[in-house]
Amino acid sequence: MTSEQSSKSSSRNGSNHLLKRVWYSTSVPVFAVLLALLIGAIILLVSGADPLQAYAALIKGSFGNTEALSRTLQKTTPLIFSGLAVAFAFKAGLFNIGAQGQLLFGAIVAAVLGFGIHGLPAVLHASLALLGGAFAGALFGAIPGALKTYTGAHEVITTIMLNYIAINITDYLADGPWKDMTPGNIVARTPKILDTARIPSVAGLPLGFLIALIFSVVTWWLLRKTTIGFEIRTVGLNPNAAKYAGIKVAKTIILTMVLSGLLAGIGGAIETQGVVGRYQPGFNTGLGFDGITIALLGKTNPIGVIPAALIVGAMKAGSSQMQFSAGVAKEITDVIQALILFFVAADMIVRWLLRIRAAEEEKVTLSTGWGQQ
Amino acid sequence: MKKLYLILVFALLASMLLVACQPKATEAPVQEPTKVPEPTEESCSSPDVFCVGLVTDVGEIDDKSFNQSAWGGVQQAADELGAKINYIETKDAKDYGANIDLFAKDGYDVIVTVGFALGEATGMAADQYPDIKFIGVDQFQGEAKPNLSGLIFPEDKSGYMAGALAGMLTKSNVIAAVLGTDLVPPVVAFKEGYEAGAAYVNPDVKIISTYHPGGLDVAFTDPEWGATTAKQAIDNGADVVFGAGGKTGNGALIEVASHDGLYCIGVDTDQWGTVPEAHPCLVSSAMKLITPGVFNLVKMAKDGNFPSGNYIGEFGLAPFHDFDSQISQEIKDKLAQIRQDLLDDKLDTGFPPED
Amino acid sequence: MYDLRTAAPWKYFFRRWKGVFIGGIIIFLVIIFSYIKNSAVTEAVLASAVRQSTPLILGALCGLLGERAAVINIGIEGQMLLAAFVGFLFNVWTGNLFLAVLAGVGMGALLGLLLAFMSVTLKIDQIIGGTVINIIAIGLTGYFYKVGMTTKGKLQPIPLGPLAKIPIIGTVLFNNPPITYAAIVLVFLVHYILFHTRWGLRTRAVGEHPRAADTLGINVYFMRYMNVIAGGAIAGLGGVFLTLEAVGSFERVMTNGRGFVALAVMIFGKWTPLGSWGAALLFGLTSAIQTQLQFGGKVNIPHQFIGMLPYLLTIVVLAGLGGRARPPAADGIPYEKE
Repeated sequence: MTSEQSSKSSSRNGSNHLLKRVWYSTSVPVFAVLLALLIGAIILLVSGADPLQAYAALIKGSFGNTEALSRTLQKTTPLIFSGLAVAFAFKAGLFNIGAQGQLLFGAIVAAVLGFGIHGLPAVLHASLALLGGAFAGALFGAIPGALKTYTGAHEVITTIMLNYIAINITDYLADGPWKDMTPGNIVARTPKILDTARIPSVAGLPLGFLIALIFSVVTWWLLRKTTIGFEIRTVGLNPNAAKYAGIKVAKTIILTMVLSGLLAGIGGAIETQGVVGRYQPGFNTGLGFDGITIALLGKTNPIGVIPAALIVGAMKAGSSQMQFSAGVAKEITDVIQALILFFVAADMIVRWLLRIRAAEEEKVTLSTGWGQQ
Repeated sequence: MKKLYLILVFALLASMLLVACQPKATEAPVQEPTKVPEPTEESCSSPDVFCVGLVTDVGEIDDKSFNQSAWGGVQQAADELGAKINYIETKDAKDYGANIDLFAKDGYDVIVTVGFALGEATGMAADQYPDIKFIGVDQFQGEAKPNLSGLIFPEDKSGYMAGALAGMLTKSNVIAAVLGTDLVPPVVAFKEGYEAGAAYVNPDVKIISTYHPGGLDVAFTDPEWGATTAKQAIDNGADVVFGAGGKTGNGALIEVASHDGLYCIGVDTDQWGTVPEAHPCLVSSAMKLITPGVFNLVKMAKDGNFPSGNYIGEFGLAPFHDFDSQISQEIKDKLAQIRQDLLDDKLDTGFPPED
Repeated sequence: MYDLRTAAPWKYFFRRWKGVFIGGIIIFLVIIFSYIKNSAVTEAVLASAVRQSTPLILGALCGLLGERAAVINIGIEGQMLLAAFVGFLFNVWTGNLFLAVLAGVGMGALLGLLLAFMSVTLKIDQIIGGTVINIIAIGLTGYFYKVGMTTKGKLQPIPLGPLAKIPIIGTVLFNNPPITYAAIVLVFLVHYILFHTRWGLRTRAVGEHPRAADTLGINVYFMRYMNVIAGGAIAGLGGVFLTLEAVGSFERVMTNGRGFVALAVMIFGKWTPLGSWGAALLFGLTSAIQTQLQFGGKVNIPHQFIGMLPYLLTIVVLAGLGGRARPPAADGIPYEKE
């Protein structure tokens, strides 16, 4: 309540003004989460579960101790990347549903470089595998971009189709040429990557998470502070105006998809190098689709993607504990996520409830980019 | 409008209270195990309480398939051995280890992990917790660990018997198999055995079989693909369909049930109980008896004669149920003969492929 | 680019769909040829194609009704899933298939209402609205589905008298269960309504130029609501197709991405019902052919490469046919009254 009071007696000095701005921009998401948890609690009550016990276990499983926290950050990392990938494409008016496929290629190429190259020092080997994954994701992201510019094929169709193709190709590779041939292994998977290629955790903090934070800032900087970023945003807002302004729309679209794929590819590579330790089919399921949720939850802002991914990541990390100690099925976290997304997007409901004025922020309309050019 | 507003404010306040209460609720259980051993609750860390936990493969505990069968064995342990039981459903394959850890840290005595994909995580957990007994369903053990027993099944032999039954039942000489994905070795074993068994009793039979074209995440959860593929197989002349692939296979069984005079064969458990919609065609199922296998191993763990290495579970065909009168004694005798030959390893099931 | 719309309607139609015509003729010839070679297999493949196209075309019709009125619907997957579940529940409870279909369609319409409320009234970004529906459907169905509920039968094929006896066409088109017929009827119905009625004209006006439509006295909000709700009902029909006609049971996440493929089908069909139907059939056909290739056995390539043929072919055809798809001009933009 104190922050509200301070916001009422505001505008006297600068620090109060800042507080007010912070309150305006954070109050809606915070209350959106609370409202979603409340409705989730009602559903739990209706179905005969104890919401307090369930939420307590959920929090214990995601933030309860260093191990839980570390797992939460691990889960958050790929979500940040796939969220960034989708958000970045949105900025140019492109809907990249294909982050999943790009991520898979990043993951498998990082694995191949991780187990196939010997004798490199740790930092170099890990960076090489990461770069390889990034390159693979970028290459796979370039396909829908090129198809769109040269043939007009809509990226929503091509990225959906390419997701299926990516699954088939990576499945084949992991069960064929790159299969783990250790005696006794019958499972479709690549060999373990060398220790030199791993991205370790330092004192419980996964380094991959740090890389994700860095990339969020870099993406923000790229979009906000560079000419390329300006061109991308202009193409996203109005491709015709962009053409008039002398921006090469075709080039910008391909570049956007390449960078979007690159982000997803890094996410996949970090999963391989930091968590799984090899590529195995079925281990990276759904991350790309979660990216859509995260990007929207973060209002396509590269920095906003971080807390969005953290919320979803925490729920993923804590859901096992919730089932273990409260006996609650994990699907309830999906319901809560959907509600959070709803309340964040329907901010007028929350504002009306709390009588908060809107913060001056950029209006997000993603869907205007639906195939317009 | 005002009333609505009041209600909403109340709701909000309640939610804030709810959240405000949470930290207290969470802190307590975190600290308790380290400081005070819980005196009242039945704690799994106490030697008197026998606890059995189960971690599923990606999928649900009630999947009408192998997770459910394994859980059945654990439930039997609760009924007959008085064990305290619990399960965790794995949603993300990367959580295998973390989910096993939850049980291990809570002092469970036996942990059952279901599916070959958990093999690596189970092996690592077995090294980390030498006092806990691990049962790995479908997990072949290359090197034996004293506290880890791999419950494995000769799926190829089970499939062989299904194939033999199909080969003898078919009138059109075309039989089909609708399968999950070949990324899962037991599915491949079922298929190879099925084809070898059919060819053994009926050299003229034509076998049409298909794997799901999607990845691991959809291959077992696509009943409509299974159904439409079964329909296409029927239109191709098949009159016996073997559905082996979780819910995808179940979809195939139910599809066959809506056509007159055709047979379908289920997989893993006696699907007469798990897929009642398929009763009109379900002549039998190619079983691997997971439930008794899990129960036996849990019991041995309790009695202190836990076997290490690989523990071969039983295989066989499920009862014919309503179709019993339609199956001639000749077929039954032949199946019994084949079963004996399989047990004696006299027949080549074509799996694992020799090269 | 010259404006084709000033040319004669049939000419415009032919130019716009030139590639489709040529492709259609090729496919037709191939079908005739394969029928002469092996009639049973040809019919099996075509029947499977029709069946696999049904949920896709229903989803696509849902999408294009919304988008013609300028509301993007990426929640088709969720609408189908939740409707499938509700239809299944009603069948379990009442044992009445007709009631169950109605319940599922009603659920779809209700989700359409939710989407319309979010995108028209609340003016939430429409992609977010659709995503909300997708996630919540997965969550609710997964949480409330309990094993042990058994349906009481499913919709059976109804042969249409002598029509069903015509070779190929009869067995493939006129010997189907009711929702498949309904889907085919809906394709033509939606086409007729969109392009030959006042309602359709108004819908398209609202989708292309809402401000002008408003000036002419068309209620933009009402048109958007009605179209999105109608679309939801059709998606609901696609959902109950899965549980009550195709499979006869419910499983978690059983839509398996069909709602997204339907989205692709809609864009492929250039936001028209007939074009979408063609795209859905093409997709069903390639899936059926890949199954048939596996049936044939002994194709010496890994099955993953056969498995991805439908998707690869879709991209190749799309890229080859060319012609940029143009969505309705106001698509995705919330309308603010002045």
